[in-house]
Amino acid sequence: MEPIVNDFSISIATVNGTGSQSANLILLQTLFDMGVPVSGKNLFPSNISGLPTWYILRVSNRGYQAPGDRVHIQVMMNKDTWEKDLDNCLPGTVIIYNTDIKMPAPEKEGCIIYGAAMTKMARSINPKLARMIANMAYIGVLADLLSLDQAILESAVSKQFNGKEKAISINVQAINMAREWSAENIEKQDPYTIEAAEKDPDAFFTNGNEAIALGSIYGGITMLPWYPITPSTGIAEGVATWLPRLRQDKDGKATCAIIQSEDELAAVGMVVGAGWAGGRAMTCTSGPGISLMSEFIGLAYFAEVPGVIWDVNRTGPSTGLPTRTQQGDLSMLYEASHGDTKFPVLIPGNMEECFEFAWRAFDYAEQLQTIVFGFSDLDLGMNQWSCKDFKYPDQPMNRGKILRTQEELDAVENYGRYRDVDGDGIPYRTLPGSGLAPYLTRGTGRDEDGNYSEDPKVYHKNMQRLKKKINGARTILPQPLQRLEKEREVGIVYYGSMETTIQEIDDQLEATGLMVSQCRVRALPLSPEVEKFIAEHDTTIILEINRDGQLYGIVRKEIPIDLVPKVHSVAYSDGLPPRARIYSDLILETLRGCGYDN
Amino acid sequence: MTIRLNVIDLPKSDYTGGLTSLCAGCGHNQISNVVINAAWENGIKPHQIAKMSGIGCSSKTPAYFLGKAHGFNTVHGRMPSVSTGARMTNTDLKVLAVSGDGDSASIGIGQFIHAIRRNVNMVYIIENNGVYGLTKGQYSATVEKGSKKKKGLVNETQPIDMCKLAVNLGATFVARSFSGAKKQLTSLLKAALSHDGISIIDVISPCVTFANNDESFRSYNYVKGNETELHVYDYIPHFSPVEQVDIPAGEYEDIEMHDGSILRLETVGKGHDSSNPVAALTAIHEAEIVSKHVTGLLYYDPDRPSLSQSMNLSDTPLCQLSEEDMRPDESSLDEILAHLRG
Repeated sequence: MEPIVNDFSISIATVNGTGSQSANLILLQTLFDMGVPVSGKNLFPSNISGLPTWYILRVSNRGYQAPGDRVHIQVMMNKDTWEKDLDNCLPGTVIIYNTDIKMPAPEKEGCIIYGAAMTKMARSINPKLARMIANMAYIGVLADLLSLDQAILESAVSKQFNGKEKAISINVQAINMAREWSAENIEKQDPYTIEAAEKDPDAFFTNGNEAIALGSIYGGITMLPWYPITPSTGIAEGVATWLPRLRQDKDGKATCAIIQSEDELAAVGMVVGAGWAGGRAMTCTSGPGISLMSEFIGLAYFAEVPGVIWDVNRTGPSTGLPTRTQQGDLSMLYEASHGDTKFPVLIPGNMEECFEFAWRAFDYAEQLQTIVFGFSDLDLGMNQWSCKDFKYPDQPMNRGKILRTQEELDAVENYGRYRDVDGDGIPYRTLPGSGLAPYLTRGTGRDEDGNYSEDPKVYHKNMQRLKKKINGARTILPQPLQRLEKEREVGIVYYGSMETTIQEIDDQLEATGLMVSQCRVRALPLSPEVEKFIAEHDTTIILEINRDGQLYGIVRKEIPIDLVPKVHSVAYSDGLPPRARIYSDLILETLRGCGYDN
Repeated sequence: MTIRLNVIDLPKSDYTGGLTSLCAGCGHNQISNVVINAAWENGIKPHQIAKMSGIGCSSKTPAYFLGKAHGFNTVHGRMPSVSTGARMTNTDLKVLAVSGDGDSASIGIGQFIHAIRRNVNMVYIIENNGVYGLTKGQYSATVEKGSKKKKGLVNETQPIDMCKLAVNLGATFVARSFSGAKKQLTSLLKAALSHDGISIIDVISPCVTFANNDESFRSYNYVKGNETELHVYDYIPHFSPVEQVDIPAGEYEDIEMHDGSILRLETVGKGHDSSNPVAALTAIHEAEIVSKHVTGLLYYDPDRPSLSQSMNLSDTPLCQLSEEDMRPDESSLDEILAHLRG
């Protein structure tokens, strides 16, 4: 039997709240520290304890990070999903199951089945904690079957339990017991194995929420009002964790105010108040929170108050699938609130960009005097991703057009709070407490000096200026990244967490003889580069993780009408992180509809 | 003619604002005048004040006073959160917020409650007329059961008493006054401006257009005839020696505010202990039973830390921090990366 090395997927079916996440992260960390390209997806339920959870580990020599199109090794630890997990096993799947679960032993034609008495082993170590420790037993069995490095495995346990001796010792004991038992009792019949490779010493695991939290701190955040909501909570908790170490003044006092607010409306209200007063304020939320914040977001647009809001997208609409992922909020962010609006949206596609866009967001917000959205999703935000570096900001802060002294105010000819004296649509502002050109900030119509006005010409001119201001961001914000083929036949425009799957999609298309160019959009409003990319290619597919093709809608609206027929939407969303095959099949089907023969 | 100057040598004209667009005789205009007087007489630098408001007739008034101060006319019912954000960002600001009964007792009651819970450093005036003026006179949530506006039916719904609520929530300064009681309101507002924490002042302010009829419990005539005062007040600012103020003939109590000013409470009737929340609630309930309005300083607690104190914020207002204070140095990021790389 030819071994299959470092190229397979493991699915682990467990019960939420039994400590299986610790076990899964230990496995992930072990593989990572062995230098094996690996990614992990936690498919967890919206409760704390008792519902089914799956953890999908993908090891891939080609660096694929998506969950993959099939499972090669299925670990069965959950009675409730027993039948379903078994049904999903294709021929050739390795099934590892806990024989102590009171269910019929799995039988499946063409599958390789290994059973181990995991709960009994765990009970022999500590009867009280047997349910938790049983999860370590499947790690032990996998360690034996896949030939995992024992020293690295033990160090991963130590990392997971933060050096807590008692927890480390009991869990290592369970892993070792199962590993030894497996070595003595299981005769390996499957081809899957792990081989250590040279680990990149710079690489580490992080998640988007942590990267954004750190980026915000280096971006000079001075206020974080927030309201808990999955999957964004990790950002606020990350900021709160790192702040005491990173952001105390010489007297040991805080240079950032954190308030857990009563709801999302209050959170964004505090952001608006802080931005108005000259602070760098941010909140983090998910789609339902954005819906609630919308009125304030419109006020900030119209009154031109800076602020940053991170949306970690979960599956909507409504409460939706709160622990699943989607790119379903994009169009809502771009045109948030009532009336004519438009907002800069930063769209990171990896951990490095989560960090970078988080600090840059404050610069853009103050420069443009508006709310700047960061757009992440549950997949980026909560799963562990390999990252090489967080690059220290390469520019000083851009505090925008704030007039802090009488001299600065005097130097602006014909100053008015909302007068476009520079021709870029961006006015100057003064801060409360300064006594400089005081004005009443308001959401009602006002003239260039900030005085109340319902004059139609004044309103129209002001709205055109706001449009000009945001349009100016097209060349300021992060530009798209492109990988161009020689033949400019088919191009794919995509964004955000699709970055983790695009290479696999590209390879699958290439296997059919189709070479595609790629253009990853990293911000809204769209860069002119996107229009150029579309113009250069015969056909462009806009690829996204939602139902209706939200970016497709935005692109159609913003490109010249003669380019519109060249653009097609491929959008699919089922709550799970993207699987390459689903999208490559849909792309091929769409192209066949355009007359391509593939 | 010599122009009178206040203790920081500013004329009163430095504290005025634009012309009001409210109805002639509106109680809110009287309150705006009290704001002007109190800020001027207290010698507060006008630009140090941030005028905050929500939406409604009352929330328009920041345009009519303190024209030298920045202000923010925010969204309906959400002024407290904006005030919180602004005050935490600039701890030098004196937040003077104006809201109404529609703004605070209905759509904004959540933010009203949580601003009290946090003890946000702000003066929170509720210009309370019992109706929604801008949408032409619908009842608000504070109007008394049995009260009747000019047009329409008698209100049969139980009211929300904002002072009762504030006392129960532990607000650190709770007062009720009447827009027609200029002296009392001025003293209370001055004291509120000297308090570091949240000061709730619920001001009955008759709506002359929709509810100034005699069947309305919030008309001028009704309030004048049915007001029970807790004390007579005298405010002695921290810059005036208390010895120079005449000692009242009867019983009195001096309360020292956070900035050293004194609010002198001269006993009226059976007296009221403003440090006792039970007494405050009793006073409100007793007045309510006989359809009267109790006015004065209901409750005062100087000991609870304000929000900015409990957050242990930097002495430099956050909006004035240097880039050095806001962005940790590069070596700190290297340390984090080393930690993450294990």
